[in-house]
Amino acid sequence: MDDNLKLPYWAIGIGIALAATLIVKDPYISSVINLISIAALMAASLRFVMLMGELNFATAAFVGIGAYTAGVAVTILDWPFLVALVLGGIIAALISIVFGFVTLRTKGPYFLLIGFAFTEAIRILYSKSMVLGGNSGMVGIFPPMALDAWMPTFVMAVAAILIFGLYVLERSDFGRILTAIRDNEDVARTVGLNILFCKIACFAAASFAAGIAGSLHAFVNNVISPGDFSFLLAAFALAYVKVGGEDNVVGPLVGAVLLVTLGSYALGLGGQEHIFYGTAIVLAVLLLPHGVTGIARRGWALIARKEK
Amino acid sequence: MQTAIQLILTSLQIGAVYILFSLGLTLIFGVMRIVNFAHGHLFAVSALVVAYTVPWLADTGLPVLPAYLLAVIAGVAVAMVLGFLMYVFGFKYFQRDMVGSFILSIGLVLLLDGILLKTFGGAVRPVPEILPGTVTILGASVTVQRVALCAAAVIITAALYWALTRTKLGKALRAVSIDHEAAMLQGVPYNRMALAGFMIAAALAALAGALIAPISIVSPVIGADYLIKGFIAVIIGGLGSVPGAILGGLFVAAIETFGGFYLDPTSATIAIFVLVIVVLLVRPKGLLGHG
Repeated sequence: MDDNLKLPYWAIGIGIALAATLIVKDPYISSVINLISIAALMAASLRFVMLMGELNFATAAFVGIGAYTAGVAVTILDWPFLVALVLGGIIAALISIVFGFVTLRTKGPYFLLIGFAFTEAIRILYSKSMVLGGNSGMVGIFPPMALDAWMPTFVMAVAAILIFGLYVLERSDFGRILTAIRDNEDVARTVGLNILFCKIACFAAASFAAGIAGSLHAFVNNVISPGDFSFLLAAFALAYVKVGGEDNVVGPLVGAVLLVTLGSYALGLGGQEHIFYGTAIVLAVLLLPHGVTGIARRGWALIARKEK
Repeated sequence: MQTAIQLILTSLQIGAVYILFSLGLTLIFGVMRIVNFAHGHLFAVSALVVAYTVPWLADTGLPVLPAYLLAVIAGVAVAMVLGFLMYVFGFKYFQRDMVGSFILSIGLVLLLDGILLKTFGGAVRPVPEILPGTVTILGASVTVQRVALCAAAVIITAALYWALTRTKLGKALRAVSIDHEAAMLQGVPYNRMALAGFMIAAALAALAGALIAPISIVSPVIGADYLIKGFIAVIIGGLGSVPGAILGGLFVAAIETFGGFYLDPTSATIAIFVLVIVVLLVRPKGLLGHG
């Protein structure tokens, strides 16, 4: 089982990534690194629900719930930083359990569209709530001063732990159940699995990660507003998953790194973010059905064959 | 009583647009089993073209009604060309692939959003009044334009309904949406039907856009709002069901109008969402859905 997890690769990968964040001192690059970590976490959360064959557009809503929870906990209730951070994930997971209990009875397009409607409905709720700052959102969500210099490292560490956690879940028996549900739900049911329960568990785990991504977003940006959490957020996460390749856990990470870096660069050029992401998604689905990692893997297989 | 009639008339007229919209969505889903989020952009493109050509044609001295009719033809044509491009270069390869087609359509949404904003700018475009005046129906006054919109929507919906139930093409489309393999065994050319279904849906969206342009403020993002409501209408009615789309469209419009009047627009939106949840709890495939 342990070989299956490829632990050394993970340790090295996370180690290098964290070391890189320690070297960087430029504030612009640090902010891009923060964005990448959060984007990767969101993409991993979206992909985790894709394991059971559902496209979860409510991801954007749960990121928003996490961010607003962290915001309320820090600015209104004055709770400590770490409590606020974790609370964002917990509240998102709790809401997702209730939401999932109702909506996971539906499948495919219905589930997808409900998630989409949920995201928009939640967003309208924020903008109408005076406590949450209405349309202009919440300000002054700061992490503790001591952490300021270490923020990129901290954000990446949290994201890495959660992505690794999702990966462990995927490789466990639970992950196999999810694949079984995707392949044929009825067969899985006939062997006595409680499908709805497994789906809700999967959904809640992914939403916990999305909620934490939201809290991190709030602490990194210090300012949140309803406009940050539209369905476009889930569309971007989907772009990371699709461009990177959804077949393995590294795909969303590669996609997030590639698109966020290129996207920040394109913004610097005065380019249009929407056109950029749109083109990336369209080209990726048309030309690279298995994403960048799929191409890399095929290339690797070719080289390996030649050497033999 | 007068308020009630006024509200019913308003919801009928909003509902008319939702129905045209959701008919297209349900048709595409029925025939190709795809979810097309870029549908709203066909609507927006047509509305934008109308909003730009009417003042331009009116400046050349043409009376406003013929100018509008010409603009409608232009808008529908542009939107149909766009729809054709979407189909030939994209959705053709993603038939019966819900996730793949959805992802493609999200990509198209972002791309078209960017392109439309760049070409047309974010500013809203007013369209001059086409049919001036108001009429009084049962004591409630309505502008002639809105009555014309409703009439046009009813005619289009009736024509579509007639075509789907009576003509050969319509029967083939329905056969494909019930069971595409059985339909192919009977000699129905599936690929041609898919294209036909997609283009009819594009035409419906384009007509809806052209009709709404004179009574609404037109901007590149106009499609998004109608798209969400259209999809909710289709979920309530059941994906793939034509009567379901009509029922759902009227339902959503009625809640939006009455909720917006007696409570406020936010509560109305939340109420629509709650309604969807309740419908799905009772019938996970929508009120009239079966597939």
